[in-house]
Amino acid sequence: MSLFGTTSGFGTGGTSMFGSTTTDNHNPMKDIEVTSSPDDSIGCLSFSPPTLPGNFLIAGSWANDVRCWEVQDNGQTIPKAQQMHTGPVLDVCWSDDGSKVFTASCDKTAKMWDLNSNQAIQIAQHDAPVKTIHWIKAPNYSCVMTGSWDKTLKFWDTRSSNPMMVLQLPERCYCADVIYPMAVVATAERGLIVYQLENQPSEFRRIESPLKHQHRCVAIFKDKQNKPTGFALGSIEGRVAIHYINPPNPAKDNFTFKCHRSNGTNTSAPQDIYAVNGIAFHPVHGTLATVGSDGRFSFWDKDARTKLKTSEQLDQPISACCFNHNGNIFAYASSYDWSKVRIPRPALGAARQQSRALGWESIGLSCDSSPDSHHSFGQSPAHGKCPVSVSGHRLPCPWVQKDGQAGG
Amino acid sequence: MTICQFFLQGRCRFGDRCWNEHPGARGAGGGRQQPQQQPSGSNRRGWNTTSQRYSSVIQPSSFSKPTPWGGSRDQEKPSFSSFDSGASASRNRGFGLSENPFASLSSDGQKDEKKLLEGIVKDMEIWESSGQWMFSVYSPIKTKPNISGFTDISPEELRLEYHNFLTSNNLQSYLNSVQQLINQWRNRVNELKNINISTKVALVRHLLYVPCHIQKLNQAAPTFGFGSRQTTTFGSPGFPVNSSSSDNAQNFSFKTNSGFVPAPSGSPSGFRSPPAFGGVSSASSAISTSTPVFGFGKPEITSAASFSFKSPATSTFGSPGFSGFSASSAADPVRAPLAPAFGSVSSVAGFGSPGSHSYSAFSKPSNDTFGNSSIPTSLSVSNSIVATDNVLFTPKDKLTVEEVEQFQSKKFTLGK
Repeated sequence: MSLFGTTSGFGTGGTSMFGSTTTDNHNPMKDIEVTSSPDDSIGCLSFSPPTLPGNFLIAGSWANDVRCWEVQDNGQTIPKAQQMHTGPVLDVCWSDDGSKVFTASCDKTAKMWDLNSNQAIQIAQHDAPVKTIHWIKAPNYSCVMTGSWDKTLKFWDTRSSNPMMVLQLPERCYCADVIYPMAVVATAERGLIVYQLENQPSEFRRIESPLKHQHRCVAIFKDKQNKPTGFALGSIEGRVAIHYINPPNPAKDNFTFKCHRSNGTNTSAPQDIYAVNGIAFHPVHGTLATVGSDGRFSFWDKDARTKLKTSEQLDQPISACCFNHNGNIFAYASSYDWSKVRIPRPALGAARQQSRALGWESIGLSCDSSPDSHHSFGQSPAHGKCPVSVSGHRLPCPWVQKDGQAGG
Repeated sequence: MTICQFFLQGRCRFGDRCWNEHPGARGAGGGRQQPQQQPSGSNRRGWNTTSQRYSSVIQPSSFSKPTPWGGSRDQEKPSFSSFDSGASASRNRGFGLSENPFASLSSDGQKDEKKLLEGIVKDMEIWESSGQWMFSVYSPIKTKPNISGFTDISPEELRLEYHNFLTSNNLQSYLNSVQQLINQWRNRVNELKNINISTKVALVRHLLYVPCHIQKLNQAAPTFGFGSRQTTTFGSPGFPVNSSSSDNAQNFSFKTNSGFVPAPSGSPSGFRSPPAFGGVSSASSAISTSTPVFGFGKPEITSAASFSFKSPATSTFGSPGFSGFSASSAADPVRAPLAPAFGSVSSVAGFGSPGSHSYSAFSKPSNDTFGNSSIPTSLSVSNSIVATDNVLFTPKDKLTVEEVEQFQSKKFTLGK
């Protein structure tokens, strides 16, 4: 297993942000920083499935790499391995048995990374960057589903170079989620399609978007019987829509809520509105977490329609998030998500240096152990007892040692 | 009922037998109230069957908790309701006015329209002041189609373009392009914030009179003119690309069957249907927007002269269940994003190679074969409901803005 390659830049090229640790909001939640985090923005995070003992975190970044860490119970993160693509990695996912990781990249391919042998082979090809990748495990088939900006959704048997199936999308695929037997794809131009995956994937329904602006992220939630029953859709306008597929009363059951806005519910002053970059559902409690460009993450209860908790504001947008398989650990990535459109200063120069100039990319892991936030649940143990949260820090940083919890 | 545009021109050969509404001729008698007729499958395509009243839909930007939007919208194809009320609006007014149904609306229609416009203005103000992502489509109400003039670019796409430019060392053109996109956006937002008569007319038509899914079909993928490449697609004569009379050239353009790479990408495409006497089947692509083509070469400028009667598409509107997307599992005829490319040819953009689905906002269509009849004409046909209906004429709502204007004007000026 190769450790991560060049982490050049440690201590160099930094901005003046270092040193003023007192006002630094790099890690206001005092979560654990993952060591050796990627050099450029993190686009996607994924935790290993329950079939694998322990917790392994995969992150794909705009530095063309995919990194894997083992996250131990005491919170320590150990970098394990890395693979490269020839373009930024946009999405990652695990196979159901935890032996393979699938990565989708802007180089129009998707690869399958066998962790045991540390080999990655290409399993998919598109005509445009592959934006989403998911593993589908059905009783009678299993395949990888890739959604791309070339407006197609392709299903791949990893052994063959031809897709098993190609479905046309009305527009570029922006985000997708799969929980067998349901898959949801949200596309550009406010398109929204639900697929059913039994027997073979087929389009189930096209839905009118409940949101007024561009779709950004989607996540499927399950009902009490553990069957997928609806999805949460986030847009660039600081709003999330909860949509059930077959609700008894659509007008009342489906709703939208505002989030990631600067003024909270005070609507008199003009608010700053931020994009919702990621949505993740807690596997056990069914609460949802949203992360936004404002640099905060929030937990919500969609059944009680309340907000449970919002974090402090980080200094950078949070670009991705993920729960581990039992919900004890919540990982979020703090890195520039291009929401300001501006090119990072200094304007010219190599990409690496520029991303550094922005700040630093980091991944934080947190365990929401505060019981009060789950009061409305009435459920016993709160999220979990994980004492630490780690966020990766490329530059030597006092935090890593500081929080007494880190590393025990 | 639909307004008979032949009648409006004074040449309806069915006269009293005509199935369509002849406003002014017989509308006076209380108008034909919308009976709950034709429960299904009428050749009106369900326009008359809506039970949802238009007014219940409008909830301009008030996302209160249980948003009353839903209704039973999930399955239903609501878009026709808007048409319906629009039609009724114009119908009710019929008596005594000459053939200009758009001249005034009934009070109902007016109220809805007002609310809609207010909602849009408010949303625009919020959009501008909030610092949210600019490059997004927008629709005032969830059931309405996207308003033209906005492009949908995700941050990742933009960032990828940046990366590509970086490798080709052409940062300045990236910066320029982005600046142009921003300016385009700003112009459009200002236009919508300060709605003048012409914008209003265009908006109202776009949102109220054209069935929703057609609109969605016509939303072009972002087209940008970057670099010095001429957007020949828009510039060549005979292209039926016009910007609507009301909007500023930059922001609207009517897309037609662009003879692009008939790549089987599933993008919704807009077809323009020649006016009825073109004698061809319908599909009107209503205001299709090709998103702002920026200024290189000829920005889509209007002119009646450039309108052409293309041989047309049988556009299939898909089944009502589809929220606005045609069942485009078949080859996409048209719309590959008409974007003229970035100055430096990006290796990522799917240029020209026929099979490529140019995904990116910045890609350039391979050829400018507009006006060729190689234009693939059909969207997936399987769900077509429309095709046979409009062989003779195109219902008014299916016409593009200019076409409508032509029909309403005293003299036909197209092509002159």
